[in-house]
Amino acid sequence: MVEEKLEFDQSLLGQEVEAGSFEVTREQILALCKAVGETNPLFTDEEEARRRGYRGLLAPPTITNLLIRSFNRPEVKVNFGSLRLHAGQAIEPLEPICAGDHLTGRTSLKDVYTKTGRTGTMAFIVWETRFTNQENTDVARVRESFMVRR
Amino acid sequence: MERYFEDVDLGDEIGPLERAITDDEVVEFTTVSGQGGNRPSRFTSDEQAKKEGLPGAIVPGIMSMALLSKLLTDWAGSVDVKLLDVIFRQTVPHNQSLKLHGVVTDKREGEGQGTLEADLYLDTAEKGHHITARAVFTLSAKD
Repeated sequence: MVEEKLEFDQSLLGQEVEAGSFEVTREQILALCKAVGETNPLFTDEEEARRRGYRGLLAPPTITNLLIRSFNRPEVKVNFGSLRLHAGQAIEPLEPICAGDHLTGRTSLKDVYTKTGRTGTMAFIVWETRFTNQENTDVARVRESFMVRR
Repeated sequence: MERYFEDVDLGDEIGPLERAITDDEVVEFTTVSGQGGNRPSRFTSDEQAKKEGLPGAIVPGIMSMALLSKLLTDWAGSVDVKLLDVIFRQTVPHNQSLKLHGVVTDKREGEGQGTLEADLYLDTAEKGHHITARAVFTLSAKD
């Protein structure tokens, strides 16, 4: 089946841009835990986290999802539909992230394509982001996929 | 509870974690996540969601993902997540009973730590799988 040709800003493909810098705070970690009922002491008790060998209060694996929400991303300008939904998300934690860490997110547009299923044709927009910490160590990779419907 | 690599077998069930996500909990989460908080959005307002073509206000995907992460950490204790790969198959509604659960699908030995894989799900009784996920994680060996 020939997939629909999409119009979008192709100059963005593969171009890594710095999208934001963040301090991971104790308050942010505790607020995330409270919001989803997370009670694991590694994420809620700094003493316990240090006792287990971490530098400080450990952030839950999905903390980078929150940081991504405040990204300044260039607009892809996909000329297709209007209802945009989150299709998928993959987080690959590489190193522990703790309260006090300073993270920088660098993001790039990986792919834009269409797929046709039972409910019609959809466009997909895929971003990949890597987070580094204050020592320029890669600490996480995140792949996000967004679906656009007509 | 603390779970060790030796404690786990292929086919072991993870969870379930059964709960509804209330309107207030979504507002709290979106305040933390910067997705709108008290401003009307597809996550916090039925009216706004319907304007956007949705059946009603929905739970943010990253909130559901945080709950799947909690499912794992509740089950395992000191789990080291290496990958959490989630597909959002259907939107997740507020105020409906959800079942988060999973099953261990692979187990591989390693030095000091063993690697496990699991399939995770967020379901409703009415519509089945709303979210499916693959998790790769390590658990410590017993001393």
